[in-house]
Amino acid sequence: MTPNRNADRPRIDAHEKVLGRALYAADQPFPGLLHAMTVPATIAKGRILSIDTAAALQVPGVVRVFTHDDFSQIRTTPAARGAYGQPGKGHQPMTAPQVRHRGEPVALVVAETLEAAVEGAEAVTVRYAEESFSARMDDDLAGPEPEAAGQLASGDAEAAFANAAHIVDVEYRHPQQHHNPIELISTTAAFEDGTLRIYEGTQSAAAFAGGLAGMMGMEPQALRGVSPYTGGGFGQKNGVQEQSVLVASAALLLRRPVKLVMPRGQLFHTASYRPQSRHRVRLAADGNGRLLAGIYETVQQNSRYDGFGSDHGANPPRMYGYGAWRGSERIVRVDTQTPGHQRAPHEHPASHATECALDELAGALGMDPVALRLANDTQRDPITGKPFSSRHLADCLRRGAARFGWERWTNQPGALVAGNGDRIGLGVACGSYKAAMTPSVTTLRLSAGGQCRIATSGHEMGQGLRTVIAAELIDVLGVDPGKLDIRIGDTGHAPQHLTAGSWGAGSAAPAARAAALKLREELSQLTGAVLSDEPVHVQLARTRRPYLEVSVDTVPLGKDRQAIEQLRRGMPVTTGPEYPDFLAFSWIAHFAEVHVEPSTGRVRVRRVVSVADCGRVMNRRTAESQVRGGVVWGIGAALREAGECDPRFGGVLNNDLADYVVPVNADVGAIEVDFIDEPDTRLNLSGVKGLGEVAMVGAAAAIVNAVHNATGRRIRHLPIRIEDLL
Amino acid sequence: MKPLSYVQVRTAREAIEAFVAAGESARYIAGGTNLYDLMKLGIEKPAHLIDIADLDGANRIDTDGDRLFFGGAALMADVAEHPVVRDDYPVLAESLSKAASQQLRNMATVGGNLLQRTRCPYFRNGADGTYPCNKREPGSGCAAIGGIDRSQAVLGASAACNAVSPGDWPVALMAMDAAVELQGLDGTRVIPISELYRPPSRTPHLEFTIGREEIVTGISVPKTAAGRNSTYLKVRDRESYAFALVSAAVALEMDGDRVRQAHVALGGVATVPWRGRPAEAVLRGETLDRGRALEAARAAFAEARAGRHNAFKIELGARTLADAIINAGSRNQ
Repeated sequence: MTPNRNADRPRIDAHEKVLGRALYAADQPFPGLLHAMTVPATIAKGRILSIDTAAALQVPGVVRVFTHDDFSQIRTTPAARGAYGQPGKGHQPMTAPQVRHRGEPVALVVAETLEAAVEGAEAVTVRYAEESFSARMDDDLAGPEPEAAGQLASGDAEAAFANAAHIVDVEYRHPQQHHNPIELISTTAAFEDGTLRIYEGTQSAAAFAGGLAGMMGMEPQALRGVSPYTGGGFGQKNGVQEQSVLVASAALLLRRPVKLVMPRGQLFHTASYRPQSRHRVRLAADGNGRLLAGIYETVQQNSRYDGFGSDHGANPPRMYGYGAWRGSERIVRVDTQTPGHQRAPHEHPASHATECALDELAGALGMDPVALRLANDTQRDPITGKPFSSRHLADCLRRGAARFGWERWTNQPGALVAGNGDRIGLGVACGSYKAAMTPSVTTLRLSAGGQCRIATSGHEMGQGLRTVIAAELIDVLGVDPGKLDIRIGDTGHAPQHLTAGSWGAGSAAPAARAAALKLREELSQLTGAVLSDEPVHVQLARTRRPYLEVSVDTVPLGKDRQAIEQLRRGMPVTTGPEYPDFLAFSWIAHFAEVHVEPSTGRVRVRRVVSVADCGRVMNRRTAESQVRGGVVWGIGAALREAGECDPRFGGVLNNDLADYVVPVNADVGAIEVDFIDEPDTRLNLSGVKGLGEVAMVGAAAAIVNAVHNATGRRIRHLPIRIEDLL
Repeated sequence: MKPLSYVQVRTAREAIEAFVAAGESARYIAGGTNLYDLMKLGIEKPAHLIDIADLDGANRIDTDGDRLFFGGAALMADVAEHPVVRDDYPVLAESLSKAASQQLRNMATVGGNLLQRTRCPYFRNGADGTYPCNKREPGSGCAAIGGIDRSQAVLGASAACNAVSPGDWPVALMAMDAAVELQGLDGTRVIPISELYRPPSRTPHLEFTIGREEIVTGISVPKTAAGRNSTYLKVRDRESYAFALVSAAVALEMDGDRVRQAHVALGGVATVPWRGRPAEAVLRGETLDRGRALEAARAAFAEARAGRHNAFKIELGARTLADAIINAGSRNQ
């Protein structure tokens, strides 16, 4: 085995991608392919009175116009959508003459060309009977629900406040946000070899067998989900989409392959999004800055018909050694599509609220916010009393502070001034994300000629999962990276898990490693000797076998073999953060330097230093890239992004990339990344804890805290816009 | 598929004849950066495109006479990078280089840019019938008034429309007293740029005074020493690739350290490129300091009226204009 396990390696599929050889879902060529386009509802709620398709059918090239009359047999199953939300009543557009949110598809035009489909869709006229609605959680008609059961608590938090020397009681607000992966969400459905193949850029190819088959009354094995490459998921592609079953049903009825690429403007109304939320944070500390108690109450927007559970309370009590804690989460139902997971779904908004509140507490105490965090470091979860598998958050803080030059920080806002008169602000915040895992089924075949093929569970969505798998195979087997064939994201090759929640690497790396180790063991038995340093395929060739194949089922810590059966049936099954003997999280500390122009209040993020404890770093290059991406998301959340809704109309007003403002290069200063890089082998064979999500957690809060340090202004909502600092 | 005819022509005369022959659904196209966008949004539905990007001499840039001359089809990128424009008229160069992206500036023409349509989200977003808009559907109403009006105008709005004129280049040209050369059926006419734009009043769908078949064949700017003491300051929701929340074009004719005549125009805040005459009056004969600049800038916004979410544009606009006045003054050698 090579000593340099976390080498800085180029992505194993970089060449394919740069040359355009990697085929994404919408790139798949099919003879006789039909193109589809949806007709979006122009009302926010109501009933469809009539749909006139005559003009659309007159458009040359239009093959068929589907409406709810054609699709009423489609069933809505709990597994169909929101794989990780609480199962709800569900709603599948175009199965009834009913509109539950603006922009949902009410007709599907299928044509020989994309142009004809678009023109046909524009020619469909729909008459509606509108109903009253509320599209925002603050509206009168919004539906608040009682607090859900199972809130985290320990000790008597209220009582602790009575004895506190310092208290903060603040409310932070978070807007609706939209993922906007560059690869648009698309579905192509085609019959091949007797099965219905669904090509969709997804994080969950098994959702089609698990959800779509049920919706269509088909056997799960009659569907195959194919998604070898996904062009960014960020949680928006983690289940069956609103259009998936419509396209699949169209292909079934027309007996021809059908493709639909959803326009970005429609995706703001059909795909998931990060819901609006409000966060009341109360913190109590003694005179030395010891955290006596925290009370954290959140309210989160939801749809009327489905459940996307709120989980804001899961991480904040684990960040520090609180003496007592009480959490509370509620949801409010409005007339929109169902929100869902968006990178660090609840951890990011929760870290915004709680890490900014902690900064406010540091201010009240007159304490350095880094020192306050270090003073409340803990190796034990305050809620369960269990230890953490590994926690190097204090090291992240210390290393980050040194690299960032935290000694420049003062508690006097605006004290640091740049040469051009800009006020310089320095801020810090921390984050955590559960170290989760999911089962995998892996087949590894080594050929005597050196080819090495692995089929396993997991999706490549730009995070570098193929490269993580390759790293383990190169490490254990010394195989040639150029002779690797890594088959993932395809239920035709292996059962597929939902790849999300930062459990991709922590599941795929141990699976690949276990398979590689088993292959070595079997080869050793074949050769009857301990393996030498020679390439493994040369040693295999000497046995005169053309190849050696092993299969491994990887069951994550705390689960049994049943997990494999659930995986095979396409059901989500994950573990973490609580394991039998410990809790496992990745940790991060972010330091941000902002410059604020005094006359206009313009905020520029000049520099961010982020130090992460994600267990073993599988590949320095892709890991740093993950963190940089997470920090850019943090900049976007802190200063740029919000979905705007006009309550009179519902829907998202700024539904394109011009008006949904994300950071451009000029908005992103230097981002320096470092890692603790201590393998967490109590958690899994590879020592990996996960990185993609934790990278973003706390990043926005560090920037908000830096803005306060520069201006003395405590802005308690996101994004901070220019008018907030005038 | 919708039929779409497309012809390339070599002279303005040919273009106009082709346009008139094609009738109501004809549109001129040059860079196409706004027209294609509006076609994709379902706002523009031309059946005939007459390409005027390659009219003979239409991309001419001439700085030799007593006026700068830019052919209507000169590219934004080429004008922005022209040495005379860059060195002697920074307000013009900066207004171009801070607009859109390099890719768009490589396509878009300085003539077409004068006629760019508003970025009002209710205008752009509602062609499917969701949002009423008097610009798009005359008489249907204005959803922006009383709505999410953060981006809307605080100057020049009417009860029918508060959409912002989106451009940067027209604002700089307004400050510099540019003239626009138009060619139509009856030959060529030249108008001051201030006469190109119509206030929304009760007919916000009528945005320009240009005749339907007329072509912007050129833009000219009187040469002035004030060009060197000039700047275009643009404040937006991100550092690049965004339209202005507020912008200010300032050029100063100086007499020693006193302002003989200021040229001030505002963008991002008004329904048309907005000349800031009240600011010019305050500055006349004065020396420059931050207080005087802010006083002048506030005068430019004296008539501003805020909606629900855009009041900040009045204060931000004044501070931005004050910064621009100071910047322009600091370029006085």
